[in-house]
Amino acid sequence: MSNQKREIESRGQDVDAAIAAGLKQLGVKMSDVIVDVVDEGNRGLLGIGSRPAVVRLMVLSSQAPPPAKPAPREEPKQEPKQEPKRAPRQKRSEAPRTARPARSQKPARPADSGDEWTEEEHSTEQILETAVEIVQGLLEKMDVTATVSGRLSEVDDVTGRQIPILDINGDDLGALIGTRGETLNAIQHISRLMVGHKLKQRIAFVVDIEGYRTRREQALGRLAERMAQKVSSRNRAISLEPMPPHERRIIHMTLRDDKEVYTQSTGEGRRRKVRILPKE
Amino acid sequence: MKELVEYVVKSVVDFPDQIQISEVNEGGTTILELSVANSDMGRVIGKSGRVINSIRAIVQVLAAKQGKRVTLELLESDDRY
Repeated sequence: MSNQKREIESRGQDVDAAIAAGLKQLGVKMSDVIVDVVDEGNRGLLGIGSRPAVVRLMVLSSQAPPPAKPAPREEPKQEPKQEPKRAPRQKRSEAPRTARPARSQKPARPADSGDEWTEEEHSTEQILETAVEIVQGLLEKMDVTATVSGRLSEVDDVTGRQIPILDINGDDLGALIGTRGETLNAIQHISRLMVGHKLKQRIAFVVDIEGYRTRREQALGRLAERMAQKVSSRNRAISLEPMPPHERRIIHMTLRDDKEVYTQSTGEGRRRKVRILPKE
Repeated sequence: MKELVEYVVKSVVDFPDQIQISEVNEGGTTILELSVANSDMGRVIGKSGRVINSIRAIVQVLAAKQGKRVTLELLESDDRY
């Protein structure tokens, strides 16, 4: 399904060297590829424990627009202590459509402009009603029989906000969730856009299917705790498997006050994952 | 299949009347060819293709239900660049 035709993995002493080697191998320019840092590598101490840096380069097909930032993007390290008020659900660079309160709703990309985004906020009831209606229509077109209902999330302990949630319930909805919730995320992404377009306002809401997100959240919280213990007892960093932004956030949040470990994200795009590292 | 794509695309673009979708069959695979107004291309593609790929994921659900192989292509008009 991907329209990225060519993809290679290359290695080098550090990330830059690995990228350069890969570009040479492909015979393309930096602006033609998406770079995914698989492993930042480690020079080690006196040659002990050194690993090469590994990057994955995907050549953009002619259809895709050039990525906003082709260079590997380093995210500020997650040191929760220093920014306890780090509010938004997801990081801006990853989720530009996450709603912020009215004023900052100016779309960042030129592709999004041309619409008059109203300053006025819609009521939560209005948002829920519209979202339920749109998702119901979507499921109907997908030939899926399910019920959609709206509610508000509990108050987020960091942002203090409540987020609209749409619950989709029915029989045999596994296909609607997809591997690691990918289809669910696609449905959420598209329905947010559709609702946002209709209400002329960026709208953040969560779509859940059969309680998948809730279950996943709990499982991730437990996973985080377990891995943190492992990290501190072995005094070695552990990388978790790649996860979407909100799942990584759960790991970061779970361990934000941990005394033994801290967390950071590495890798790009779909391969971005959380690393849990020992403090000292 | 077409209706699903239309339902989604028409509510994310500025010029829904310029949406065109055609179905082409090629050796057991249905190819949906979508074209939209030039100014809507960016919206339909999305950042790093996120929007079009989400639409593809949604289309795959229906395709699987119908036991079909379906791909969704976004056509670019030649005079775009």
